Amino acid sequence: MEMTEQIEATVREVGARVRPQIEEAKRRLSTLDETVTDYIKENPGRCLVGALAVGYLIGKIARRA
Amino acid sequence: METSNQPNAANGRSEDPVKTMGQRASSVSDSAQQAWDRTRDAVTDLKRAADIDGRVRRNPYGTVAAALGIGYVLGGGIFTPLTGRIVGLGLRLGIRLALLPMMKDQISELADSLGGEIETNKGRRGGGKAAKTSER
Repeated sequence: MEMTEQIEATVREVGARVRPQIEEAKRRLSTLDETVTDYIKENPGRCLVGALAVGYLIGKIARRA
Repeated sequence: METSNQPNAANGRSEDPVKTMGQRASSVSDSAQQAWDRTRDAVTDLKRAADIDGRVRRNPYGTVAAALGIGYVLGGGIFTPLTGRIVGLGLRLGIRLALLPMMKDQISELADSLGGEIETNKGRRGGGKAAKTSER
């Protein structure tokens, strides 16, 4: 019983310590997602041609390997 | 030099080499301009026909991934071990994500029906025993 309470307390403590970092990481990921999406929407041609070129190179490399 | 303005003995034409070079450069420039205009028009038509801008606006990541895939295929990567690995991983994931919940549902339904049968059997046995004890 005491052991279970100790484990619960430790988990709660770790959760409280980690939660702000997780929230920060979430916020950063969300910002990055918005930035990338906006960039793609603003420069669709450049992004598509770039992706095509990157895919082509990966295909070439995969074929050689 | 005088000889440059003389009629050419080989083809019988009078040619100014500087002028000819200029004309050629101008003609090359004109054709390059025309080719560029045609390419730009073709790209614009293609963009309009395929609604690329709209697709990118609606689904930016998907469109970029599709372009990446098309590039990969054009680069000759389709029949490679890497493709095999990617397809294998996708199939395994798909099977896990699609089949396992279905199997789980089936197993839980089976367990419920078995549990119901066991309960009814117990009830019958209990009823039978009670009847026997009352007879005694």
